[in-house]
Amino acid sequence: MLDLYLFQLLNGLGLGMIYFLIAVGLTIIFGLLNFVNFAHGAFFLLGAYLCYTAVAITGNFWLALLIAPLVVAALAWAVERLLIKRIYHLPHTFQILVTLGIALIIQEASVLIWGPVGKSIAVPPELRGVLIVGDFIYPYYRLFLIGFAALIGLGLWLLLERTRFGALVRAGSESTETVSLLGTNIFRLFSLTFALGVGLAGVAGVLFAPLRGAQPFVGPEILGIAFVVVVIGGMGSFGGALVGGLLVGVVQSMMTSLWPQGASLMIYGAMAAVILVRPYGLFGRA
Amino acid sequence: MSEKNPLPVKGRTPALLLLVLASLVALPLVLPSATLATEILIFALAALACNLLLGYTGLLSFGQGIFFGVGAYGAALLMIHLKWGMFSALLGAAVFGAFLALLVGALAIRRKGIYFVMLTLAFSQMAYFLAYTLSGWTGGDNGLLDVPRPNIEIAGHVLVDLADPRHFYVFVAVLFLLIFAGALRVIRSPFGSTLLAIRENETRAAAIGYDTRHFKILVFMLSGAITGIAGALYAMLLHFAPLSNIDLMMSENILIMTIVGGTGSLFGSLLGAGAIVVLGDVLSELWPRWLMLLGAILILVVVFMRGGLWGGLAELGKRLRPSRPSADKIPAKTKETL
Amino acid sequence: MSDYLLETRNLELAYGPFKAVAGVDLKVCAGTIHTVIGPNGAGKTSLFHCLTGERQATGGKILFNGQDIIRKPSHGRVALGMARSFQLTSLFQNLSVRENLRLAAQGRDGLGALNFWRSVEHKRSHWNTADQVLERLKLTARAETLAGELSHGQQRVLEVGMSICAKPTLLMLDEPTSGMGIDDIPVMTDLISDLGRDHTVLLIEHNMSIVMSISQRITVMSHGQILVEGTPDQVRNDARVRTAYLGEAA
Repeated sequence: MLDLYLFQLLNGLGLGMIYFLIAVGLTIIFGLLNFVNFAHGAFFLLGAYLCYTAVAITGNFWLALLIAPLVVAALAWAVERLLIKRIYHLPHTFQILVTLGIALIIQEASVLIWGPVGKSIAVPPELRGVLIVGDFIYPYYRLFLIGFAALIGLGLWLLLERTRFGALVRAGSESTETVSLLGTNIFRLFSLTFALGVGLAGVAGVLFAPLRGAQPFVGPEILGIAFVVVVIGGMGSFGGALVGGLLVGVVQSMMTSLWPQGASLMIYGAMAAVILVRPYGLFGRA
Repeated sequence: MSEKNPLPVKGRTPALLLLVLASLVALPLVLPSATLATEILIFALAALACNLLLGYTGLLSFGQGIFFGVGAYGAALLMIHLKWGMFSALLGAAVFGAFLALLVGALAIRRKGIYFVMLTLAFSQMAYFLAYTLSGWTGGDNGLLDVPRPNIEIAGHVLVDLADPRHFYVFVAVLFLLIFAGALRVIRSPFGSTLLAIRENETRAAAIGYDTRHFKILVFMLSGAITGIAGALYAMLLHFAPLSNIDLMMSENILIMTIVGGTGSLFGSLLGAGAIVVLGDVLSELWPRWLMLLGAILILVVVFMRGGLWGGLAELGKRLRPSRPSADKIPAKTKETL
Repeated sequence: MSDYLLETRNLELAYGPFKAVAGVDLKVCAGTIHTVIGPNGAGKTSLFHCLTGERQATGGKILFNGQDIIRKPSHGRVALGMARSFQLTSLFQNLSVRENLRLAAQGRDGLGALNFWRSVEHKRSHWNTADQVLERLKLTARAETLAGELSHGQQRVLEVGMSICAKPTLLMLDEPTSGMGIDDIPVMTDLISDLGRDHTVLLIEHNMSIVMSISQRITVMSHGQILVEGTPDQVRNDARVRTAYLGEAA
């Protein structure tokens, strides 16, 4: 019995770390650019698909893990230059509608390219197999997932806290005007930040791929979860994305064996409750 | 956005209603089937209701699918289990829709901007999963089958047989005209003018004495009632109330129709619904990935053509007409605030 | 009981430990033009926010016609006869000037505004009020212009005009001449003096010449409290006022 709970808990942590990566990207984009990206889920699924293709071509998962997120980030950079930069000044609701359109296009393009049925990606040979501790069995890949995502998270944290780029992003979240007065090319900062945020969703997609494969219609579901995490954790908060992601991941995992629909009800109910009672979430600031 | 100018000019209402009437007559003649024409009208109703929130009050709601689905389920259950007739079922659907809208609206308007939007999104998801779970009532994933389409009868005698698609179209068309005329009246009333004020500048509206919460909740309820009726009609059209009526994609579709047609224009709802439904019907045969086009259209309309199809037509009309002294009408700006 | 139209008793607005308004006993007599002045940070705006209902005061009472209105929301205060204008112009930019005023007149109508069936044309009284105010503001020629297309000076005048449409007893004007050019200011000063004949006016103002010329009473605030209150002459000659504005060295 305890083993089952531990199993689900670890699953939840793994899922939670993936949610963290997606959410932190969303929150960075919102924090600096004050931009609501409804296409975030679509870029996630794109990451999974590009992982599939990269593995199909090179036969190497690790290469895919490197390449796919970069391609996603590059694509995001292009979209930002072409379209997103035109709509920063528009109210959030317009941003939502435009990125909704982008999400639709990405979703349908994925089906066009890769077909309507999902693709499966094999767990890399190095990570196949299970860890056995006494009676407890747990897949290596899922452990790797937790560790690798944590590593990315740490890298991101260092980037934001210890580098000049990170300082500019954080400062820009407070006041873009001041930052541009400091001589920074604010437009390049925006593009890079958007690409970074979306690239993180891409990484999450790649990591997720060996678990559930690449599916064309998961965009809205992932987007929904990402927003739940961001709301609960607090818009613009790194720590919030981490804590929120883990919370949601664990709850979802634990509930899935008991009552799957209940999990979704609880999660969205929690989102509504947070918005109503404490809109800045756990760690967000006014 | 021509209908944004709230100064009502007596001459315009009859002209607009005539335009609607003409469209209603033309629709089944132009389209391959009465069923398709009916579908357009049903979604035009939903888009109209969405417009009351979005175009006139400035509220972007991702929850319209909730009311659509509840109207469909509600009417279906009333007809199947309680053997209610056409008008009572529609009334029931309107009541259910209004009631849900009261719940959703009262909670959602406690927040503004992006948080309001996300609340409607959260409620929409919750409604979907509730509908999935309560499969005893809703049929869950399978939906409700064998939804009847009652005839219009008095004391057991059939007045109008609605099984014939063409008869049903006429019935829905009459309903549409009545609701359209009603909505027009509401827009032109003190209540309607206040909605516009709230959209333009809510702080100012409150400062001059309006309790904006009351207005928002009321327009939500009106929107919910109309959307509920639309959902009920849809269930009767298909003889089927699927789960998809209440999912997020339905809310998104309704929003897209509203925007493409032209937010802030009631007639635009008809245009938008017509365009999207026809596009979907025609294109989905040729190209299953037609949603890509929809995505592109949405982006183009929002970024470049805020007035939607109606705005585009109005522009065209202005260009084609020979120049007149603009004595009485100041053209309303296409600047829009959401 | 007081015969002041508006009175505050130990009014307080605290943001955590910081008190923006720290115990204010304001007294505004009916039929006067009463101005509140003070250096930046004195608490004038915070006081104003409490009076209009924009912020919920954290302590004390606000008595309007003897009734404590501290819990009443902004829209409720309009119904009682209080009206306000904004320092940062806040109009219905895409609606005509006439419609802006008509909406302001309709605002006091309470349930009448909820009428969803009769046409807006029907309630002539609101249109008439709007037209009368247009006359008073000397904006009749611009009745159909969109509010956003007026010049800044005209917008400021419309700002004030919006507040009188509800036929209030008390007008609360927040820096009405803010940002106005030197040619437009006399228009505003004349308007306010004119309004003072049939309304009670409470103003926040920075422009000293206006303050001195049209006020009947002046309240000087500093550090969240009232420093001095009296007629323009009394205030002008008070040493404490000079110190508050110019610092200890002066």
